[in-house]
Amino acid sequence: MRLIRNFCIIAHVDHGKSTLADRFIQLCRGLEEREMQSQVLDSMDLERERGITIKAQSVTLYYDAQDGQRYQLNMIDTPGHVDFSYEVSRSLAACDGALLVVDASQGVEAQSVANCYTAIEQGLEVVPVINKIDLPSADPERVMREIEEIIGIEARDALRVSAKTGEGVGALLEALIRRIPAPRGDPEAPLQALIIDSWFDNYVGVVSLVRVVNGSVASGEKIRVVSTGRAHTVDRLGRFTPKPIVEQRLSAGDVGFIVAGIKEIDGAPVGDTITLENRPAPTALPGFRQIKPRVFAGLFPVNSEDYESFRDALAKLRLNDSALHYEPEVSGALGFGFRCGFLGLLHMDIVQERLEREYHLDLVTSAPTVVYEVARTDGEVEYIDNPSKLPPLNQIEQIREPIIIANILVPPDHVGAVLKLCTDKRGAQKKMQYLGTQVSLQYELPLAEVVLDFFDRLKSVSRGYASFDYEFSHFQPAPLVKLDILINGERVDALSIIVHRDSAYQRGRELVDKMQELIPRQMFEVAVQAAIGSAVIARATVKALRKNVLAKCYGGDVSRKRKLLEKQKEGKKRMKQVGRVEIPQEAFLAVLKVGRK
Amino acid sequence: MTVLENPPLALYVHFPWCVRKCPYCDFNSYTLRGPLAEDAYLAALRADLEAQAIEASGREVISIFLGGGTPSLFSPRAIGEVLMMARERLRLAAGLEVTLEANPGTIERGRFAEYRAAGITRVSLGAQSFDAGRLAVLGRIHSPDETRRAAEELHAAGLGNFNLDLMYGLPGQDAAGAVRDIESALALAPAHLSHYQLTLEPGTQFAGRPPALPEEEQIERMLAACGERLAAEGLEQYEVSAYARPGRQCRHNLNYWRFGDYLGIGAGAHGKLTRAQAGQVLRSAQPREPRRYLACAAEGAAARQAVPAEQLPFEFMLNALRLREGFEPALFSRRTGLPWESLARPLGELMARELIVGDGVRYRASPLGWRFLNELLLSFLPETRESVG
Repeated sequence: MRLIRNFCIIAHVDHGKSTLADRFIQLCRGLEEREMQSQVLDSMDLERERGITIKAQSVTLYYDAQDGQRYQLNMIDTPGHVDFSYEVSRSLAACDGALLVVDASQGVEAQSVANCYTAIEQGLEVVPVINKIDLPSADPERVMREIEEIIGIEARDALRVSAKTGEGVGALLEALIRRIPAPRGDPEAPLQALIIDSWFDNYVGVVSLVRVVNGSVASGEKIRVVSTGRAHTVDRLGRFTPKPIVEQRLSAGDVGFIVAGIKEIDGAPVGDTITLENRPAPTALPGFRQIKPRVFAGLFPVNSEDYESFRDALAKLRLNDSALHYEPEVSGALGFGFRCGFLGLLHMDIVQERLEREYHLDLVTSAPTVVYEVARTDGEVEYIDNPSKLPPLNQIEQIREPIIIANILVPPDHVGAVLKLCTDKRGAQKKMQYLGTQVSLQYELPLAEVVLDFFDRLKSVSRGYASFDYEFSHFQPAPLVKLDILINGERVDALSIIVHRDSAYQRGRELVDKMQELIPRQMFEVAVQAAIGSAVIARATVKALRKNVLAKCYGGDVSRKRKLLEKQKEGKKRMKQVGRVEIPQEAFLAVLKVGRK
Repeated sequence: MTVLENPPLALYVHFPWCVRKCPYCDFNSYTLRGPLAEDAYLAALRADLEAQAIEASGREVISIFLGGGTPSLFSPRAIGEVLMMARERLRLAAGLEVTLEANPGTIERGRFAEYRAAGITRVSLGAQSFDAGRLAVLGRIHSPDETRRAAEELHAAGLGNFNLDLMYGLPGQDAAGAVRDIESALALAPAHLSHYQLTLEPGTQFAGRPPALPEEEQIERMLAACGERLAAEGLEQYEVSAYARPGRQCRHNLNYWRFGDYLGIGAGAHGKLTRAQAGQVLRSAQPREPRRYLACAAEGAAARQAVPAEQLPFEFMLNALRLREGFEPALFSRRTGLPWESLARPLGELMARELIVGDGVRYRASPLGWRFLNELLLSFLPETRESVG
């Protein structure tokens, strides 16, 4: 165990995390290949385990250090987007140390700061690494000062490397085994293994990535998942190198996978503890902080027959995405679906894409919204994650919107543009501080403005130099109204949005115009209106189609006309019916697009 | 008890070549390069007909239509030979309609008289417009005067039973322009007029480089104005785009629209044949490309495929709803072998939407439904479910 190092790499998206990881794998390869040969022969049904290789989130490497010892390095992956900071804390729980990788010319950015603090809070040893020192624009001295000033950790002996050329990577590995502590834990104690991640494989069922904290577990043993209380027999276990290598036993300090014939999707929840059935540990490990979704949207299958498979797919995704929430929702316009909660728009995009690509579902999404706190006139307080559930105006005492604290780092050249953006987004400045070559800003911003397009806008006004991180702060009263869209007089629940009173007219106008553009002409005139309560604030008309007749079937050839009409019918199936009006899916997405430029 | 019956049988003969392919045309036609291989094509038609005639098994043929392409590129001798083959191999009804499609730009003086002598009883003339500028935009090889001369020739040859093809909704055209074309056409005293809207069809030159077409409202005004004018002249609209003097409807096309049978010979020709005893409706199609057709024709008849029963209501409606007269429930059952009740759901829904009207005896598209035929037809398409995964 003293020869094991569990670590992760904290880095901004393009600061060179994967290049460095590749370099590590390459440097340890000579050893790895010799070791692998025998092991590959051992794992007879690699084919069946193909599902596992796809989602290796940890890599075990063997490193021959200068002290003559061979170390086992477990490198655990961490995601890099602001939406997924919770995933980071999950990965960190499996580690004893972290490499903080900072680009030698770009300097520190906000998300690394946040992740670094999370690592320090969890008691990890943080080793600063300055990467890309081969670049002409590299300024390691400056970046070193930034690390000290902004993050506040000692950086004088920060490692200077170029993952690209390999310069300094050897020294980094030596520093890693020297400075990151070996895992603590008792291999003789009852088993406690933390589930870092779980995913569903169609062949073998649930596959879990675990960090063994105490004790050990071997193939064939009976394990118990603490939260479900259910016992399962371990079919196989092992590690990723990055190929899955089957082992006989995982012991305290190890990071690896366990397959135990768990067929039910929620059989091994992330953050749960695994112990042995006949020698259970007296306590479970502390799990992860439950993350509350902040952005909600209704997802509806285009074909109503897909509802069941949609529910299955959500359950499978939820298995390793504990931030994904869902519950059934019925929409007048879109039928049966699920109200889903996400961490942010990127999270929503990813979930939707996975559902469409991996589960072959055709989905329509209603406008995303944040959760509002609504005080009713009768004194009750409700949390509203769906605009159509907003009580009638006369029953609302006050609507409060979620406010976040945003920490932004930006070079002085772009401060002006970022300040303007924050003001446009109804932000309130809390702090502004010049730190070395960067300015640190702290703002209170309405979450609704942030989820819409803040991240993209921030990147564009700062030419990509600004970075930010946020956390929820509090609910705050605001003059908010519900904007409804009516089509031929019928309110379309999936198109309702909650907006600030000052922007309601503009958003209404934009929405109505967009609808007019997107709704195809039909056999009758279609009126599109935007309304607040009973007051119509914008309207537009989709003119009626005059006629719709094919030319005759020349020479009795019906096949071409049939194909043409079959295509039309397919197109119609992808439309949603509101009253007699057929609305294409793009119209529902339009709500996302307006006011987002 | 519903019984499938063998409906009337017609013969369609396709001639695939034109002097020049028009930019809007999506028919199976090809610009003729080099001399016309009349004899080779006649030989292929003969082999084709011989093979298919056996399947007609003595049923009477009620009409023949020689279409294209430009059949009038073929000499009266060649056309006469085709009709001779038909007479030898098939049982032709007395006084049957024999239509030849002709391009006014390919007609020399005296030629229609020769066609008539060869057995042609009716001609369909591709006039399209009487505006020289518009004809040029449409890529036509003929002039308005050539159309006028051809019509005079037809009357002189005793082929007064002719049709003029006219298009409307042409680039730059307004209602007055469309009516002017109608007036010019009426001046030639046709027995029948086909009035088509210019539409941009996939795979045509126009689809690739679309011309600016008039607004929909403008087109609607054209249609209304032209229809009024034609009605005033005694040409009754009996189908979406067909107008005729009393008794002068095209019998061959009526047979398609009443879901009759037809043999199709020639490159890309389609056929429909009912086998009442087997309870089947069969379709066939010959190779489209002339060279392939010439190579294959000797090998025998095209394979016929049964139309799946669930497709039959759609195919029937695709035709029958185009007719102003609509159809009787009994015709549906005789032609498809399906019980009238199988239409209950779509028919009920369309009647509720007032797109189809009916009184139990006869059903047809309402005036609104006639304008939105595609909408109606979608209701008769069988549900297809894409496979998932």
